[in-house]
Amino acid sequence: MQRGFTRQRDQEGEYHRIRIESKPAPHVYPIPNKFDVSARKLRLAAMLVHEAFEYKFNKEVVLSRPCIYGVFGGRFGGFKPVKHKCVGCMRCVQEYPHMMTVKHSNRYRRLGDSFWTPENVFTVWDEASTGKIPVKGMGYKGPFSGEGFDEMWTDMSEIVRPTRDGVYGREYISTSVDIGRKPKSIDFTEVDDQPKTLEIPVPIIFDELPNGTDNADVRAAIGQAAEKIGTLDIARDVRFGEPGLDNLLPIIDEEGIADYGEKQPEIAEFDAERPDLLKKLLARFDRSILIGRLLLKEDSGSVACELARQGVHGLHFCADYHGHDYSKDGRHVSTALKDVHQQLVREGLRDQVTIIASGGIILAEHVPKAIICGADLVAIDTTVLVALQAEFQGETRDRSNCRLMPRKINPDWGAQRLVNLIGVWRDQLIEILSAMGMRDVRRLRGDIGRSMMDSELREQSFKGIPWAT
Amino acid sequence: MGNLELIVEKHTERIHHGLDVLPTLKHGVPEGLGNKRWTGELILATYEQALTGDVPENGLEYKTGNSGGGFDVLGWKTHDDVAKVDEESIDLSIGLNKRPDGKKIEIPLPIYGGGMSFGSISLNFMIARARAAKRLRTYTSTGEGGYPDQIVPYRDHVITQVATGMFGVREETIQYAPIVEFKYAQGAKPGLGGHLLADKVTSEVAKMRESSMFTSLYSPFPFHSVYSVEDHKKHVDWIKTVNPRALVSVKVSTPTDVDMVAIGSYYAGANIIHIDGGYGGTGAAPEIAKKNIAMPIEYAIPKVHDYLVSEGVRDKITLMASGGIRTADDVAKAIALGADGCVVGTAEAVAVGCTHCGNCERGRGCQVGITTTDPELSQFIDPDWGERRIVNLFNAWSKRLRMILASFGLETIRDLRGRKDLLVRFK
Repeated sequence: MQRGFTRQRDQEGEYHRIRIESKPAPHVYPIPNKFDVSARKLRLAAMLVHEAFEYKFNKEVVLSRPCIYGVFGGRFGGFKPVKHKCVGCMRCVQEYPHMMTVKHSNRYRRLGDSFWTPENVFTVWDEASTGKIPVKGMGYKGPFSGEGFDEMWTDMSEIVRPTRDGVYGREYISTSVDIGRKPKSIDFTEVDDQPKTLEIPVPIIFDELPNGTDNADVRAAIGQAAEKIGTLDIARDVRFGEPGLDNLLPIIDEEGIADYGEKQPEIAEFDAERPDLLKKLLARFDRSILIGRLLLKEDSGSVACELARQGVHGLHFCADYHGHDYSKDGRHVSTALKDVHQQLVREGLRDQVTIIASGGIILAEHVPKAIICGADLVAIDTTVLVALQAEFQGETRDRSNCRLMPRKINPDWGAQRLVNLIGVWRDQLIEILSAMGMRDVRRLRGDIGRSMMDSELREQSFKGIPWAT
Repeated sequence: MGNLELIVEKHTERIHHGLDVLPTLKHGVPEGLGNKRWTGELILATYEQALTGDVPENGLEYKTGNSGGGFDVLGWKTHDDVAKVDEESIDLSIGLNKRPDGKKIEIPLPIYGGGMSFGSISLNFMIARARAAKRLRTYTSTGEGGYPDQIVPYRDHVITQVATGMFGVREETIQYAPIVEFKYAQGAKPGLGGHLLADKVTSEVAKMRESSMFTSLYSPFPFHSVYSVEDHKKHVDWIKTVNPRALVSVKVSTPTDVDMVAIGSYYAGANIIHIDGGYGGTGAAPEIAKKNIAMPIEYAIPKVHDYLVSEGVRDKITLMASGGIRTADDVAKAIALGADGCVVGTAEAVAVGCTHCGNCERGRGCQVGITTTDPELSQFIDPDWGERRIVNLFNAWSKRLRMILASFGLETIRDLRGRKDLLVRFK
């Protein structure tokens, strides 16, 4: 079963390539200047006088500015720099070190929280507003590695294994994934009574929004975006049959079952920690794909196996918004997911359930990395709010205490921002897949051999190098 | 002199003056300068070395960055009982052809310049690099953008790069070259090919690349003529047929099986295997690629070195490393990890004023005339001045390399290769 207008073949069987239409959706709320550029005014005045004599009052030469981005192109030049144009190139400091200062602005430095760095916030804003892959010159500028996904590098192919030219669209790379239980084997003697799997064109869906952040405009934006992309939108407390909810993935509780009458949702999530709810849902919704939603913990692997045996079609594991599980040690979602995936593989149950991972998926690279760790697809949460220019009012780590507050938005604008974001994340996923020579994101699932971990490489490559005393 | 000339002269003087003044720390380390890999101090220390040709003595950190890993957490063991060696007599030369056949090429320092294409960098900077290579008796590489006439006089010190877009690859440019470099991949964008943004494709660049002006140019990935080591051998044979005296270098990125790629290249007939780590430079690359694809060079070097040793061919192929080599200490650490030498690009750009700000791909390009094709901005780099600074930088690096070798009583840089036992790790 395929979903959305982006399906690969329409009803007549005609081939359509999946395409997500990005359009500019500029910021509607002002964003902080990244850099704070300032001149010491007395020295600037003295310099102008000096240069006036040096260049014999040739106005064009004296007033030529040391900036190609127009920071000093305003009426008052260096006396009132146009700060938002500064890109931190430092040429003004190179030319006039005695009077120019360029630094990251305080507002920029305070942006986000302990997980959302200012750079990450800017990246998501940029992606949501332009729909273009962030491209920059020079090399990587950040730390050597970090925690969780930052400890992992993805592989690439070279000479001895074919790569794919998917970046510029010359070879087709599929980013579609299936949700639901897959048959263990083909048996022509029996009728398969399991619900069919659901195919979506990207391995990214929208998770329910954090508590207290849901509002009608944000909901409408997400709904529209999900429909345009052909993906799913998880929500609670939404009445079945309401218009504009075709791409809804509802979270159903026991009390909500009755609302459906004789109908069945195509797919639904439920609280997997509620005893017997799965049994009731399986009995009532025998044609629905049922996804158990639960917090990611130490015992998630064995819980996953148990639920798979009971007949669940998928599991949605939620880490906290900073990408840590709810175990005593607070493991990163990448580690916890590997455990769950590998336990399901060992028990021969992996294809019986689809795994959705959420919590801490905030950058494009987190999607392939989560999939390498064992997820089939991811759900994004706080990233949606950041793309919609929500306001950081403190730490948003715990799912019950969100300090990332949505602002008033136009739903059409919001939808386009989310379409842009998912479109550009898909493009970047294709870059990663093409570098690895893969033509299908489904093949990446759990393929940890196509990743390299800092801790492992360090021990292999620096073996024999003693610690400094 | 017209106003435009005066304006260019004014800003050229100011920039050059600033590069001289900033490392004195009279105004401190500018707050917004640098990042974790290229810290503000490291950038200023590079300016200082490019100015003086000496190791900085004013307390500027010139050895490592602040990335928290790789070269930045490696240091040198301290030794008390080493034989005294005269620093001046220490030999920094390495051979680039270890095979019994073919021309023997030796460079007097274990460094040559990495590929930077015409189009991604200005012609003046390209000439400066070529002149510096000639003066240092080493090499620089054309990158993928063709072979401008202006660097033909330095052709004995210019490596011709053959990459997937084949821009500017002609019979004569292969015949010019003492070394021909196949670029299979680039560390900063492994597996993704090249991309020259439309703004930089001026009439000169378009002519050189035989394309249309102000149209983005893509180099595909991979070479669609190479899907196996056997195909790769055909490539090597092609070059050796066109120019039998040329050495062949194979530039690859650092996937998990980089060791297999290296041995394959050896058996295909390459003289040099050049591995380019993920944290290397570029004129423009997707941010996701720079940070996430392929392993850093610090991990790839021992992997390749050890494998070549175990296969018994280590002394038959030269292993060059690049992709995040910022300092003389990085060069020495790379060699101690198993490389023969290093290929350097970004450090040369920093020597002539780069701030590692990463705006190379924007509009007119680099504000100080390095990664730009803008006719006005390009003039900030006078080739003579650029040559002098690059030569000074590598002279300073040579002094530092000699200091390191002398501290261990080693008489040649070749003795440092694979000496991991001389390194220590910091937490």
